[in-house]
Amino acid sequence: MPVFPTQGWFDAFVEEINTSQEYRLAAADWEGDIAFLVEAEPDKNVPADVWGHLDLWHGACRGGGVVAPEDGARAAYVIAAPYTRWKDVLHGDLDPVKGMMQGKLKVSGDLPTIIRYVRAANELVRLTGEVDTTFPDEV
Amino acid sequence: MRAVVFDGPGRVRVDDVPAPVVSDPGDAIVRVTRSAICGSDLHLVHARAPIDAGEVLGHEAVGVVDAVGPTVRRFGPGDRVVVSFDIACGSCWFCLRGETSLCEDFMNLGAGAFGGGLPGAQAERVRIPMADVNLLAVPEDVDDERALFVGDVLTTGLYAAHLAPIEPGTSVAVLGVGPVGYFAIQAARARGATVFGLDREPTRLALAQAAGAEAIDVTARHAQMALAERTGDRGPDVVIEAVGAPDAFSTAVGAVRRGGTVVIVGMYAGESVEIQLGVYWARALTLRFAGICPVHAWWQRAMQEVRAGRIDPLPLISHRLPLAQAPRGYELFDRREATKVVLQP
Repeated sequence: MPVFPTQGWFDAFVEEINTSQEYRLAAADWEGDIAFLVEAEPDKNVPADVWGHLDLWHGACRGGGVVAPEDGARAAYVIAAPYTRWKDVLHGDLDPVKGMMQGKLKVSGDLPTIIRYVRAANELVRLTGEVDTTFPDEV
Repeated sequence: MRAVVFDGPGRVRVDDVPAPVVSDPGDAIVRVTRSAICGSDLHLVHARAPIDAGEVLGHEAVGVVDAVGPTVRRFGPGDRVVVSFDIACGSCWFCLRGETSLCEDFMNLGAGAFGGGLPGAQAERVRIPMADVNLLAVPEDVDDERALFVGDVLTTGLYAAHLAPIEPGTSVAVLGVGPVGYFAIQAARARGATVFGLDREPTRLALAQAAGAEAIDVTARHAQMALAERTGDRGPDVVIEAVGAPDAFSTAVGAVRRGGTVVIVGMYAGESVEIQLGVYWARALTLRFAGICPVHAWWQRAMQEVRAGRIDPLPLISHRLPLAQAPRGYELFDRREATKVVLQP
């Protein structure tokens, strides 16, 4: 099982996205890449920040994976949160849109645009649950 | 007389300078018995604010009045006093409201052009304009080192803790346990708050504990998550940002609970950050920029807290050096090997 957040995990996630009919419809006119900053929590076995990136285009994911911080920071949208918050999202315990409005997930980029695509966002989150995931603090 | 002067970017030296004299009717000349090195002195030494070589540094001092001008009513030779780091006129619209740091004629001791060119207090003597406004009598039962910080960092910490709605049971996180953070912790504790002190330096974490806070090492814990875990996943009611860096501001805003208050007492100049207005609005945040502390409005209360033992300045002092060793004191403070350096003329 891939460990979150590693390249192997993103490979599996991209595969899930590209097999989802629901995501294809919900994000049919979405244009823009998204970076995910998983902030370090040394006590949770995440010793350094990890930047993930998804190239999302018209309902498909053209590629994704772990990237260098400077590449991640160039994305049209950046969503940042401590590792534990991402884990909550992956477990379905934290609604991502609510998390953004509550400041638990920090968004750089046009927040109203992301929120308009709530169905797509929710489907992306649901798909993370389809990835068999190992969490570093549970290893 | 001997004084600590700016000697070009990154350097200070101890030199002979002309002794101050009463030059305005409201002046007092104070013989300095203790002065201290402050974080804002480092801003000047590193040329982040304009100052000329040879200008006398320093703005935290306690001493004895040597001479006064003819219009000084409240003080006379022999009086023990602490000086205010911000020098206010005491009579403008802002001063009359107690907002003395917004004074129309605001000046700062030893702060170069931005401070009005007043010579500083890291010297054997210092001239204090409008002495009736800018000096506070030191009670007999308060020694010099306990009184020293009432003119600046101690009162600034107290002020920061009073800018937020703190009552018994309020959870307060103090980001940055430097001198201001240290005193903010004690002031918040004195109001009954549960306080968390966050820093990365072991000496400062020890200070947080000494002040009665739970110390959180941000090199080992994610600040926001550590605070969430201790506050029912909400975040603290109040965050006092005592660092003065965009990262610390982001941490403060990210960590505070919805409906909470962030007090920004750390010093800012040209920095900028992106703000999600909708998120701030939806979270109903209160941001309170402290600005420079209006010491005059708060220092009597601060002195009372010291007398009562609710605020103890002494654990903050890591080094006591003769004035002649001020350059070493600056080096230690700049390298964060000293929490507070006191100079003895």
